[in-house]
Amino acid sequence: MNEIGGAPLFFLEFGDIVIYFSPFTITLFLLALVFSVFVLVSRPERQIDIAFGADAFYAKVISLSELKFRRFMSIACGLACMGAMVTGDLFDFTLFVSLVGICNVGIVAAVKSRHVQNAAYQYGLVALAGTVPMFAAAAMVAATTGTLSMLELAEGTIQVPLAARALLVLGVMGEGMAPFYAAKAEMFRAPGAPYVIMCSLSSLLIFLRVAEVILVL
Amino acid sequence: MIAELLFATFFGLLLLGIHRKVIARIQRRPGPPVWQEILHMLKFSFKTTWVPNTASAALFVGVVLVAIGIWTAALFVVTSGGSLLVIFAIYMLHKIVEHGFGLSSGSPYGKFGGVRSVISAASEIPLIVSVAAIAIFTKSLLISDIVAYQTLHGPLLLTIPPAAVAMYVVLISKMPFGPFSIVESKELVSGYKTEHFGVWRAGLEICNGLKTYVLLLTFILVFAGGLPFWLILLAMLLITLSLSFVCALSPMLSPYDSVTIQTIIAGLMVAYVAILGVVS
Amino acid sequence: MKKQHTLALTLIAAGSGIAASALNMMHILPDWACAGVLVTAFPLFVLGLGLYWMAREGEADIPFLGY
Repeated sequence: MNEIGGAPLFFLEFGDIVIYFSPFTITLFLLALVFSVFVLVSRPERQIDIAFGADAFYAKVISLSELKFRRFMSIACGLACMGAMVTGDLFDFTLFVSLVGICNVGIVAAVKSRHVQNAAYQYGLVALAGTVPMFAAAAMVAATTGTLSMLELAEGTIQVPLAARALLVLGVMGEGMAPFYAAKAEMFRAPGAPYVIMCSLSSLLIFLRVAEVILVL
Repeated sequence: MIAELLFATFFGLLLLGIHRKVIARIQRRPGPPVWQEILHMLKFSFKTTWVPNTASAALFVGVVLVAIGIWTAALFVVTSGGSLLVIFAIYMLHKIVEHGFGLSSGSPYGKFGGVRSVISAASEIPLIVSVAAIAIFTKSLLISDIVAYQTLHGPLLLTIPPAAVAMYVVLISKMPFGPFSIVESKELVSGYKTEHFGVWRAGLEICNGLKTYVLLLTFILVFAGGLPFWLILLAMLLITLSLSFVCALSPMLSPYDSVTIQTIIAGLMVAYVAILGVVS
Repeated sequence: MKKQHTLALTLIAAGSGIAASALNMMHILPDWACAGVLVTAFPLFVLGLGLYWMAREGEADIPFLGY
């Protein structure tokens, strides 16, 4: 086992699907957990904006129905994220990452603002398109090496094709919002801080994990 | 371990104070005393504190705890010779902390600070590139292995200078008053930390002290190898002085220029590592 | 927040941090566990101490909007 993220602390086996905790994955897992707890316990903030041309300000309040839906999506996103952080199976990883993408679209698309919904629609298209190279990468790995277990691939006896790695990174870039879709400021300044944080956190986490996966393969 | 932690906090804050003093002297101002940042931290912890009426209370307080927690963890990872990838992860997650600070209060200034923090995500890519370049040579990412490699083969600073430059750029983008400090630029009052006053701000100051110490220590351990402790402190001081010169002599860029320049640097570094990977 | 609560928080955080370090020095507690305790206790200690000194129990205010 290539100890790129520190020596593994323990393994949890579900048949041939192995979940493993190394210092790297456990750090990411705990952060996803902490922010999911924040989503659970905190109410959204009320964004203050200045009314132009007058000596006044107004606060944007999130309605209860919107709050419930976005909180549900954020918690689902947190769970998907935790799964993606610790799984030792390449196909599971791609599944969890695509779930993160779906939840992210849900979190931003529920905002009742035309600009945010436009941005969410465009991001949704990218996320949908991103699943194709990602699953293609998992399929290529399965076809060329006969296994999807990262622990077996990490032994280095079978070479993973470069194209599979490149497609995997491309897919995660499409799914994740924060590093590569960050110029869409509409999504990151939408009201509902705990939920928006979950979008950017999940994208950074999957990006970090894919860096480890690529280095391990 | 507690002694280590307290020393790192105070020494990091002292380095930030020296940073401010040197910038002031270069700009021909008297400047604050070098221990100003330590006084700042103490001063803020004595100030009246509450959570703003509009804030998302749990997140508002929680991000301060996360901010201190992640850099404490980073300090222990570096000093115990853990994986460089964990440091990289914590560095990237600091972005989430900035975003959380900015958005949780409901203030427009904080919000724009947080958004700027997210759009300057390109500043992280040079770090992963230098991590990749190091991995090509040392075949391991454990800091203890990297230090051991350097005692055999000489400092990595001489082997892969562009990777050191990439990490230096990362240090610049996290120093206050630098060309890339768009998240706390003065047209946004204090950017993402506008609404975190009093004790929350004292916590943020502690996080900044720890962050400065950890990033400089990582830079020295990774590119110069294991030095005696006093020499490490001296090297930290020298790097801070050089960073102060860069920060004092370069204007703060506009947000889009800052992102463009960081993206160009990231692109160059990716090309460099791609060539390095093919050659080796 | 009540002063007594913040004082209790500070003391518990400080106590657990010191206890963990002491046990670590006596080689009873492994390094990673001690680090874990400190990572949680240090932020709580910092905020608890500050809030004990200066927390107000009065009304909150709205954010700063400009001069």
